[in-house]
Amino acid sequence: MREETRREAVWQFLTYGFILLGAVTTLVPLYWIFVASTLEESEFLSSTDPRLIPGDSFFGNFGALRARENVQFVGHVGEMTQYIDLGPVYFAYDFWNLWNMGAIESSIFVAGVYTILSLLLCSMAGFAFAKYEFRFKQPIFYAILATLILPIQLLVIPLFLLMSQIGLTNNYWAIILPWLANPLGIFLMRQNMRSIPDALLESARMDGATEFQLYYKIALPTMKSSLAALSIILFLFQWNLFLFPLVILDQGKYTIPVAINQLVGAQRVYYDQIMVAATLSIIPIFILFLFLQKQFVSGILAGSVKE
Amino acid sequence: MSRITLDTVRKEFGSGGDKILAVEDVDLEIRDGEFLVLVGPSGCGKTTTLRCIAGLEDVTSGRISFGDRNVTSLRARERDVAMVFQNYALYPHMDVRRNLGFGLKLSTKLPATEINQQVEDVAEMLGIEELLGQKPKELSGGQQQRVALGRAIIRDPEAFLMDEPLSNLDAKLRSQMRTELQTLQHELDVTTVYVTHDQTEAMAMGDRIAVMNGGTLQQVGTAEEVYRDPVNEFVADFIGSPSINVFDATVDGTRLDGPGDFSYHLSETDPVEGLRTARVGIRPEDIQLVDDGIGLGVNVLEPMGNENFLYATLGEQEVTARIDPTNRPQPGESVSFAFDEAALYLFDPETGASLKTKRDGVVPATPDSIPNREGAQSTTGRGPDAGPDDDQIEGTIE
Repeated sequence: MREETRREAVWQFLTYGFILLGAVTTLVPLYWIFVASTLEESEFLSSTDPRLIPGDSFFGNFGALRARENVQFVGHVGEMTQYIDLGPVYFAYDFWNLWNMGAIESSIFVAGVYTILSLLLCSMAGFAFAKYEFRFKQPIFYAILATLILPIQLLVIPLFLLMSQIGLTNNYWAIILPWLANPLGIFLMRQNMRSIPDALLESARMDGATEFQLYYKIALPTMKSSLAALSIILFLFQWNLFLFPLVILDQGKYTIPVAINQLVGAQRVYYDQIMVAATLSIIPIFILFLFLQKQFVSGILAGSVKE
Repeated sequence: MSRITLDTVRKEFGSGGDKILAVEDVDLEIRDGEFLVLVGPSGCGKTTTLRCIAGLEDVTSGRISFGDRNVTSLRARERDVAMVFQNYALYPHMDVRRNLGFGLKLSTKLPATEINQQVEDVAEMLGIEELLGQKPKELSGGQQQRVALGRAIIRDPEAFLMDEPLSNLDAKLRSQMRTELQTLQHELDVTTVYVTHDQTEAMAMGDRIAVMNGGTLQQVGTAEEVYRDPVNEFVADFIGSPSINVFDATVDGTRLDGPGDFSYHLSETDPVEGLRTARVGIRPEDIQLVDDGIGLGVNVLEPMGNENFLYATLGEQEVTARIDPTNRPQPGESVSFAFDEAALYLFDPETGASLKTKRDGVVPATPDSIPNREGAQSTTGRGPDAGPDDDQIEGTIE
């Protein structure tokens, strides 16, 4: 008995140690980026005096980043006077017109729209693959999975040609549309939707639900936690997209990764500004994660069906 | 509320060489307001038949009608039937109130206040008013069962279809819900098709019982009919607990010679005329222990309180008998038994068809006696105007 408890304690110690190691290796670089963004460039690049305590140069670095001409990182709104007294609708219209989007807003907009649309598409496709029988179902599914092995680099030129043919160059839709049917997302949704009991859908059918109502009234609500997990994956995918936005967008419309890349000049690399930009670019992801984390709590299906 | 008619309904799964015949040309008429139980061993096609009636499976051929309306090609949601599933299939993300109201919301144009009123009425009827705000996972099995029932009742459908709805409950709750379900069905007077593999449940609940095996309908009749006058050995064996004792015997005129020292002179040769062997069946309760009779070797005695189950051997043949609780033969002992010829069953050794059953008191199962159900050759039944026999049903409730 004692021997067993001891072994259990050792095992627990090892497990937590391993988790801690993982957490540290993930968090230290993030912390260092944050610290570096609050220091003068010379301070954090110093090899003799490494700094791990935040300094007070954040706003100085941020000011320098905003002052740059080749990249607008955070947007600004022009002077609003035109419709200010005409009520909220006109105000919003005015605001939208005068809003000069920076890379952060562009990225949030693009990744947000992409995530919502792709969630819809992936969950519909996953639902079809999981719960319906149709001809060539397996070959189609494997073909979709097979596209996972195509690297983006390979797709850049054909995609660019396609987008310019349909007139979407320098348009955010050009970086949203090509990845809407995300194979990983379809795969994940299919796997999870398979866990929805058939009886649940049949029961809804008997209750008078149409096939589309089965999808959005039964399948989607029971898949909340999977959708939350997938939305983080999709958001991050779009957030980190670099090569194609660089090719298809003009300077004024750059997303964050492309904008940060502009801070690497021909003569010098603006590390201090890169660190500020990197810190800022983490914040939306951090908020998204905090917001969706509680949805990860599984067990939404518990109690629906007695096994 | 309507009559349900199945006309040579056939269901095959798969295609080409992997074809599986699940339901083979079933003819069945379920009367208006009747409680019909589909019973059979697993894989016999009873659930598939039910799903065909529900519209969850397309039939390969044949026709299904509700009243005079042909519903064969209608989808489940257009058929206006409600189904209770074995695992209840409650919507996990909705509370009980929304679970109950979901069907009305989708299939009717009732205003929310009216739906709410109906939800509360049904909840009151089932005694689940205080659960309306809870999610399915917070409910016990019995409560989930009630919600599932309520979801069916609230839509006031043409028919209730139930797929082993009680099999996930513990024994005590099951018999309680069984009674409740029957009372409810009689109150609502809705045509009900109930699937179960449990013959006790079938006997206790059904106005009539439809016994299925291997995709075909074997017999339709009241509990008494299928028990006393089974059409074949399968039905005789499936209905009744413990099962009927059946063994081979050689026929010599009126004499039957079976395993051990089983030998019996029939008073008439009719049933076995022209046969060299026959299958002999005796229900456990028809075996009477006597001082001088056919010898049995006692294996095990199970005292049940009100009766004793005796497991014995007749030659090589295992035999079960239900005997008086005061009678306690010990394992290893030898006893003798006798039986009444009226209680004897005889089956054709090749086809399994009944040659002789306990027919007394039961309307004979000839096609002529059931004029309103042409084509149902394997069916026994009462006359066309005999409605559900309430007295008898009451008598079988535990």
